[in-house]
Amino acid sequence: MTLTKKDKLWYGFIICAVILPFIPGVIGGGSFFGHVATMILLYAAMAQSWNIISGYGGQVSFGHSVFFGIGAYAAGLAVVTYETLPWYGVPLGMLTAAVVSILISYPCFRLKGHYFAIATFAIVEIFNRLFMIWDAVGGALGLDYPILDDGWKNFSWSDTKTGYYIGALAIFIVVFGIVRWIEKNRMGYYLLAVREGQETAESLGVNSTIVKLGAMALSAALAALCGAFFAQYNYRVDPPMVMSLDMSMKFVLITILGGIGTFWGPFLGALVLIPLQEYTRAYLTHLGAGVDLIIFGIIIIIVMIKEPRGMMGLLSYFNKGKKEGEAKL
Amino acid sequence: MKQSKRTVFIAMLALAAIFVSSAAFAAEEIKVGALFPLTGPAAVSGQNCVNAVQAAVEVINKKNADINDPLAAQEGLVGGKYVIKVVPADHQGKPDVAKSEAERLYNQEKVFAIIGCYNSSATKPASAVAERAKKLFLCGCSSSAALTERGYKYFFRHAPTDAIESVEFVDYIAYLNKEKNAGIKTLGIIYENTEFGKHAAEEAVKAAKKIDLKIVADVPFNNGATNLNSEVQKLKSANPDVVFGAALGGDYSLWVRTMKQVNWLPKMAINYCTGYQNPAVQKELGSDGNFFMGGMGYSPELAKQFMPEGIKIQDKYYTPKSNQPFDSDSIQEAVMMMVLAQAIEKAGGPDTEKVREIIATQEFPSTMSLSGKVKFSPDGQNAEALSVITQLHEQSYKTVFPLKYKDFEPTIPMTPWDKR
Repeated sequence: MTLTKKDKLWYGFIICAVILPFIPGVIGGGSFFGHVATMILLYAAMAQSWNIISGYGGQVSFGHSVFFGIGAYAAGLAVVTYETLPWYGVPLGMLTAAVVSILISYPCFRLKGHYFAIATFAIVEIFNRLFMIWDAVGGALGLDYPILDDGWKNFSWSDTKTGYYIGALAIFIVVFGIVRWIEKNRMGYYLLAVREGQETAESLGVNSTIVKLGAMALSAALAALCGAFFAQYNYRVDPPMVMSLDMSMKFVLITILGGIGTFWGPFLGALVLIPLQEYTRAYLTHLGAGVDLIIFGIIIIIVMIKEPRGMMGLLSYFNKGKKEGEAKL
Repeated sequence: MKQSKRTVFIAMLALAAIFVSSAAFAAEEIKVGALFPLTGPAAVSGQNCVNAVQAAVEVINKKNADINDPLAAQEGLVGGKYVIKVVPADHQGKPDVAKSEAERLYNQEKVFAIIGCYNSSATKPASAVAERAKKLFLCGCSSSAALTERGYKYFFRHAPTDAIESVEFVDYIAYLNKEKNAGIKTLGIIYENTEFGKHAAEEAVKAAKKIDLKIVADVPFNNGATNLNSEVQKLKSANPDVVFGAALGGDYSLWVRTMKQVNWLPKMAINYCTGYQNPAVQKELGSDGNFFMGGMGYSPELAKQFMPEGIKIQDKYYTPKSNQPFDSDSIQEAVMMMVLAQAIEKAGGPDTEKVREIIATQEFPSTMSLSGKVKFSPDGQNAEALSVITQLHEQSYKTVFPLKYKDFEPTIPMTPWDKR
């Protein structure tokens, strides 16, 4: 079997990411880098889950925080309300998110383009309000984790990031692995066909409704998986934290900055945005309130003006330049 | 040549002596994290809280012969061996950011303790980080009663809880009904749908039962709202005799203005902490803010009578930073800084377990607390927490209850909008 350049990059990345925790002081202990690395992997996986339906499928959703929130609440309810292990909540959350996504999307997919995006905006607000007043899930108070024993059983660690990093890496590999599989299989071609022209795809025998619903369910289930991790990592779930337009925008922003509809785009977006957000907030706060956010905003504006295709666009620009240079030689 | 060599040698000796002496006398820094919302909807209040902590640190680190406070006369702590350094951090009002910033402060910045976080919803996960790491977390003004119901050992809170304030509100109503024949029988509650607001409403319901106050309106709203018309209309249609309000800064002024817009007022409107207490919000409201009431632990008027040293600290160190006097929230963060410093002084240095034990068991004089002292119950709640009910008259907070502190005859019922 010959490995393509993309395969080599993928396997090379996984090997490097797996080695990282074995280097003393990099991830373990209370390392801030450990936190940042974990967040990069988590947000990259979240953005990639969104990329399935919105990037590859062309159905721009602003409602993914609903599915993310369902996953977070499933883990939170398992631990806080039912006093059991978070692991039981994870598959239930993924399944619930998939079912909810189908129920929401079926009527919404009748809408096209911007109208679909607007409808998903409204769905976030509806779920946010619903969870705010739903006492069974903690209402506005949310769910606060008790102090749990450290370890894989509770998926909770107080003095090291290694466990969380490995968990986030596992989610990253699962989500990106699924997208690699989609890219190489019929499902990927169907999705691209629907994105490029739904009527044309249907005339060629592609059932666009089934393809879009399938992609949405998969995307929602993976977003819920990320949500469950987020709840475990923060010991708390409440509606503004997980089920908000603010959170939905993170899915969108990271993918667009990295490169929508591309395999590495969500990772590149997270690789730039998350450290920028974390380090500027951590180390520039003393300069005055909001300085970090100003710098953060300026960088995003510059990147988006210079290259609307995001980081992947910038990379292809450099590659093109390199190839032209080689051709001249 | 020989002369110049000797000069260089003497200069080097002098430099070495300066270096050695400054190293010997340099006080060791004890870092304290100040974790507050420095951006987002509560940014102004968060910045005030940081300024208050910094004002307290100025009292601790510098010699202040003019201030009669336990640590003001000396420079630094433990005979000048230690000084406090504040490390500000921004949690943006978000619980997940508060949690990661608390971890960073303890693990990277190596802070000895954290003071924070203003928003109860942020205080919860941040203090959970401290408890897991067995580090100190001191909370000034987060008022959710749930914070001290978790059985934490390293968490201490100065502010009176919503439960304490609710009981005080209904005690006052019972007094007015009995002594002044006020005829207050029905209650409406309006609150932001957050950890703080929801808890306040729950405690209001519990307290109302104590005097058979009938709840006729329960109105939550989303914080940061741009319109409160339907919420105020709900109150107006239920027409309660008294309204308990739990709204932060901008939401509070929107609530008051919307009541003016729909031309309705209850007989009394009493507020939990925050919006009502903030002088900047009241300045913005002008005379529209008159006759509203609220629970407070500090006002310049109260301070003149009961906390003169607090006024000195305010004028010398706080107002130059914040351009306004202390408010009930910010001053409590300063108090917690002073308590921590006193405990470090008694422990002889920054030993977490020793300092925790001292905070948990001893009583601390406090020139910036209304009760004049701080003493924590086993659950970490300040047992000496005290708040009074005030009524606003032209930007001035007049104390009306408890009777011990009363300095003004309140206007009850509130003067209607069209008769002002």
